[in-house]
Amino acid sequence: MIPETAGPVILFSLPLAAAITVFIRPRWSVPVTLGASGVLLAAAVWVVGVVLQQGAWRHDIGGWTAPLGIGWNVDGLSAALLLLTAAVGLAGAVFHASRPAPLATVRDPRFFWPLWLFLWGGLNALFLAADLFNVYVALELVSIASVGLIGLAGGSAQAAAWRYLLATLLGSTIYLFGVALLYGRYAALDLALLTDGVERDGVTAVAAALMTLGLLLKAAVFPLHFWLPAAHGRAPPAVSAVLSAVVIAAGYYLLVRLWFGPFAPLLGTGVATLLGLLGAAAVLWGGLLALLQRRLKMLIAYSTVSQFGYGLLVFPLAAAGAAHPAWTGAVTLVLAHGLAKAALFLAAGAIVLRHGIDRLEALGGDQRGATLAWVAFAIASASLVGLPPTGGFLGKWWLAQAALATGGYFWLAILMVGTGFTAAYLWRALQAAVRPGREAGIDPATLSAALGLAALSLALSAAALGLAAPVLGVLLDAGPGAPG
Amino acid sequence: MGVAGVIFDVLLALALTWLAWQATRAADLFHAVVSFIVFGLLMALAWVRLEAPDIALAEAAIGAGATGALLLSALDRLASRERRRRLLYEPGAAWGFWIPAGGALLGALTLAAWKLPAPGLGNEVRAALGVSGVEHPVTAVLLNFRALDTLLEIGVLLLAAITIWSLGRAPSPLIPAMPSPALPALGRLLFPVFVLVAAYLLWRGSHAPGGAFPAGAVLGAGAILMLLAGARPWIRSSERGPWRWILSLGLVMLLAAGIAGTLAGQAFFEYPPGTAGPLILLLEVAAGLSIALLLFALYLRGEPCEHGYRGKGR
Amino acid sequence: MVYLSLTGVLFVLGLHGLFTARNLLRRLLSLNILTTSVFLLFVVMARLAEPLDNVPHAIVLTGIVITVSTTAVALALVVRIAGRMREEDVGAAADPRGDVE
Repeated sequence: MIPETAGPVILFSLPLAAAITVFIRPRWSVPVTLGASGVLLAAAVWVVGVVLQQGAWRHDIGGWTAPLGIGWNVDGLSAALLLLTAAVGLAGAVFHASRPAPLATVRDPRFFWPLWLFLWGGLNALFLAADLFNVYVALELVSIASVGLIGLAGGSAQAAAWRYLLATLLGSTIYLFGVALLYGRYAALDLALLTDGVERDGVTAVAAALMTLGLLLKAAVFPLHFWLPAAHGRAPPAVSAVLSAVVIAAGYYLLVRLWFGPFAPLLGTGVATLLGLLGAAAVLWGGLLALLQRRLKMLIAYSTVSQFGYGLLVFPLAAAGAAHPAWTGAVTLVLAHGLAKAALFLAAGAIVLRHGIDRLEALGGDQRGATLAWVAFAIASASLVGLPPTGGFLGKWWLAQAALATGGYFWLAILMVGTGFTAAYLWRALQAAVRPGREAGIDPATLSAALGLAALSLALSAAALGLAAPVLGVLLDAGPGAPG
Repeated sequence: MGVAGVIFDVLLALALTWLAWQATRAADLFHAVVSFIVFGLLMALAWVRLEAPDIALAEAAIGAGATGALLLSALDRLASRERRRRLLYEPGAAWGFWIPAGGALLGALTLAAWKLPAPGLGNEVRAALGVSGVEHPVTAVLLNFRALDTLLEIGVLLLAAITIWSLGRAPSPLIPAMPSPALPALGRLLFPVFVLVAAYLLWRGSHAPGGAFPAGAVLGAGAILMLLAGARPWIRSSERGPWRWILSLGLVMLLAAGIAGTLAGQAFFEYPPGTAGPLILLLEVAAGLSIALLLFALYLRGEPCEHGYRGKGR
Repeated sequence: MVYLSLTGVLFVLGLHGLFTARNLLRRLLSLNILTTSVFLLFVVMARLAEPLDNVPHAIVLTGIVITVSTTAVALALVVRIAGRMREEDVGAAADPRGDVE
């Protein structure tokens, strides 16, 4: 047996197998999910280790090589996102399993677990896939599972789920139209084959435009973010965490894969600047709206719109010639954002459970039962703002270096102003903790410490990411995803 | 292609355009849904004209049949006559924006598509067909070359059924009013025919158009017809009964086939030499059965009743 | 080729319907027409290829099954939303406002 293939096979198969198991035997849900989560985290760490040691590799499914067959592609970028998925998946599962018995937010817990595991399986399939149509199928798996999980919160969350469904289906359909054009032009769906074969012509340009548009919709990039806040703000906490941290990152991941892969020849200054301007607008608009929110979870949801704006700055900076620092910086920011944002949503979930309400002005007063959650909130905020030595700082530092090296002072200014917004809205949220509050909500004794610990472990990972700079540098250099 | 063929294609394209227009803009919602179903049926003709008989079969059974039944039953739930009338109003179609924008988009797409060289993979498929274990190229692609897509696709179907269950109980009674008194008898009469057609398609699939997908779709459509004819939905959601196993069967088998390749020291989803034929047949039967049952489960629009799990409802 | 033009026409019709219709069901129909146009493009290309290319046929078969799944989920959701908002227009159900606690 080729040893390295075991990692992807486990990452692909185990979530689906576990999903079937907990669908057939719901009473085993919690032990099966937690056990599978542990194994998946270990497998993801192992895959990262293999990439660090021997670089990127490819696995041909069924022994069929492209263009006929489908491949899995494991490089630094996909390994990093697989690990992020596993970390958020494990913490979210622990959080959801530890909530107190009266489950106000999830109506039917019997179906939470299979949907959760299907979402995980879809994400892993997506990060492994090297084939554009296989990516589409995985995207649909992710979309339906997300819709189901959002809808579990009932009531107005179902309307939010509907909007999300429509937006995400439109996104994948437009994406698929582009895929069809590429297939008609090159008779290939494999990313590596297309990267070698693509030429600069009209068909390719139209395909690139359509696929990018579809993915921008899925990644909720300004001005296509309209569906995100309600969906992410209303879902159950663990679901909000994985949606904001990983599902949005999946859309971004594909954008980066395409524009640093097959579409790299098309990435002139014009396209890159356009994408960068969309990112800049997202940073400012999302930040402003986050500042105006009165509910904790909506504030965090708008922050996602803002933070993914930074990710798009990679395009103008790379086009200007600073591909390497821009690339590592943007991916590091996405990873740090994923860990910190999931921590924020889980912490907010625990805080809201404690106080029974998510209006900012009502979150003060007695914090027994929510202390750990607030600590996690503070640490995650530090990373999101970008205080050294957190992962957020590292990512922004690399992006700033790229901007300075290419004279991109406009992008640097966006980075600075965005950081100001982030600090302002997170400070507002943290201030809520020390205000006098009303006495309401759940008895602190019923709140398990695991709720806060799940958030805290993610927050600490986000912070520790900043210390892993050398490892990240090596990891993200591995594979065709990295430019130059 | 003769002149008659071209005229037929043009008429078909015009009819499809008109039906699509009706489906999106018709004043009456019922009218829109019926237009959409007829659109699906005519699309099946278009697939035949484009030499894609497998898709024609699937489109007729799924695109028009199952989706149509889904739409019609949802329409029944959505709107009593009064409510339906309230839904008639549609705001302006924003022509000022859409005529130039749509025209530009149409131009760009058509220009792009006209220039396509469309090299295709026909030669590659032919070259590999000999060792694929089946003679029909579409089946070879679905269950050998691109089996990973099929695995995930059956996953999507199962996931959709679970998602629908998670939304709540199936409405009861499922069919509020019988549209035609002749339907029950007709449904019962036709069901064996559907089963036979499905079995035939499955058997044919290894060497000719057909196979698991159309067969499963036909079987599922037949089951839905039985339901329309007044049969009680027989799927149960209880953990104790066999239904959850049966619904998951297709995905279980495909996953097992994938992992078996790895365990045997080969690639994921690689069939051992010489076993591809029988293995694919086995997987096809499982996938076809799953497709049929899951389509049926989708149609129930909620978690079916459980049996032996009483008193725990909401 | 007639069908190539039809692809573009259906794509634009689908998009138009999706953005101008307020009714939830109508939007879903528009989305399905949009998806059909993508399938048509795949199959037209399979037909244009020499020899006939069966890979897009398999892709479209997979796509049809996925589309019926998403449509069924969407319909189940629409019915629930409509049931919840008996007094309101179904078309307004997607309104972003509304409170949650």
